[in-house]
Amino acid sequence: MPKAIELINFSYTYADGTPALSDITLSIEHGQKAALIGPNGAGKSTLLLAMAGFVKGSGKVLVDGLEINRKNLKQVRTMLGACLENPDDQLFMPTLFDDVAFGPLNMGVGAEQVKARVAEALKTVGLADMADKAPHHLSAGQKRAAAIATILSMSPKIITLDEPDGSLDPRNRRNLIKLLSNLPQTLIIATCNMNFAAALADRAVLLDKGRIVADGCAQDILWDSTLMPEHGLEVPAQPKA
Amino acid sequence: MHHAYIDKFAYQDSAIHRLDGRIKFLVVLVFTAVVISLPRTSPAILACYAVGPFAVLVWAGIPLGFAVKHILVISPFVLVLALSCPLYDKTPVTVLFGPVTWRTSLGWMRCFTILGKFVVTMLALIALVSTTRFNDLLAGLQKLALPRLLVIQLGFLYRYIFLLIDRAHHLLRAKAGRKLRNLGVKTELRLAAAMLGSLLIRSIDSAGRVNIAMQARGFDGNWRTISKLQIRPADLLFAAVAACFLLALHFLIRPVLR
Repeated sequence: MPKAIELINFSYTYADGTPALSDITLSIEHGQKAALIGPNGAGKSTLLLAMAGFVKGSGKVLVDGLEINRKNLKQVRTMLGACLENPDDQLFMPTLFDDVAFGPLNMGVGAEQVKARVAEALKTVGLADMADKAPHHLSAGQKRAAAIATILSMSPKIITLDEPDGSLDPRNRRNLIKLLSNLPQTLIIATCNMNFAAALADRAVLLDKGRIVADGCAQDILWDSTLMPEHGLEVPAQPKA
Repeated sequence: MHHAYIDKFAYQDSAIHRLDGRIKFLVVLVFTAVVISLPRTSPAILACYAVGPFAVLVWAGIPLGFAVKHILVISPFVLVLALSCPLYDKTPVTVLFGPVTWRTSLGWMRCFTILGKFVVTMLALIALVSTTRFNDLLAGLQKLALPRLLVIQLGFLYRYIFLLIDRAHHLLRAKAGRKLRNLGVKTELRLAAAMLGSLLIRSIDSAGRVNIAMQARGFDGNWRTISKLQIRPADLLFAAVAACFLLALHFLIRPVLR
């Protein structure tokens, strides 16, 4: 069975010559919940963009066994839903319904089925009665949930989330953890918040300066009191399970 | 920050709110065209035309103070135009207002006509945007064959204008927090230019990220939406009432009040 995500010797350099990702080799199995952790500027967001085919460097990126190229980008993005860091970038339509329907409509799904998918996605994230709301009328927590609904309606096998817990209060963060824990999809979550990563991930990939410095079981990496401070991070506040 | 400036009352529920956006848009369009094309006219006739949008606002439960406030906000631009009329046209005229006779100039008559038409058409426009959700209006405009690109642009404008206003407020607050003395006009202008530049760069960045979000969801340049618009008997009745109102004013009231 093909891996959900596979990167083989992937490197990417910014236009100004700064290396962003260097020789990344990584594979993530279907059904895993992997946390991409690392300090600011480590390359987490760029790596997520590479997985969705937005960043083209050297080496290979495969999604569900399919190597990303210009011809199969649409197919890749049907399998992999990318949720950006700022929900205001993700929610660009005048109403929540239109936003959640945007992906399925572009996939060619019929109108009636789109309506059913929108209703299901909004129900999953707890916004069932807000379909007609304008995104600027939602709270930060609701915007985050809505951004996830825009991906869920496309029924992807893999979901990437960039700093999904950013600007959320503790209650909304708990709600988000509950929501993400219950999703059956493969999740790849970039975060600087180790408590968030510890609550969700079964696997942790530590990035620093564009390189993978540790990869393994979340329990082993997140609570490594030598490794984490070395890379500007801290161990989670909650005790190791 | 919570915004509800443009569509503050559009999410209410009333018979007017439930009407199809296309019908309301077309009615307001025709009404505005009729009012603008009126020849130099008496305030009494304009007051009769104002009854239409006034009735819609009252029926829809839109506070009149809200409409007046918005008219006052925009009025300076029209006031400049209107108040220039008495300066260049001083031809004397006599106005009969019932038993009252008033001697004035043609310029002042033009001035009052411009202001009157402005108030009446603005009332109609406010009635439209206060009773129609912006997305319904956009969907209606698209159905009415307005260029799709323009509709998309309007949609993005509506979606992101609030964020832009927020960002501008944040910048102004950051400036106010550190501006502890009078900086003088030259420095203030330089700061304003820097802030505008910052807003522009952030907007361009934002546009790039929105583009990524769109492509991530399969956008290929074709804009696809599900239209929920449907013309019902109530919409046709509203259009008929509006048409009767305009025809009655044109053929019955105007000849009497002329």
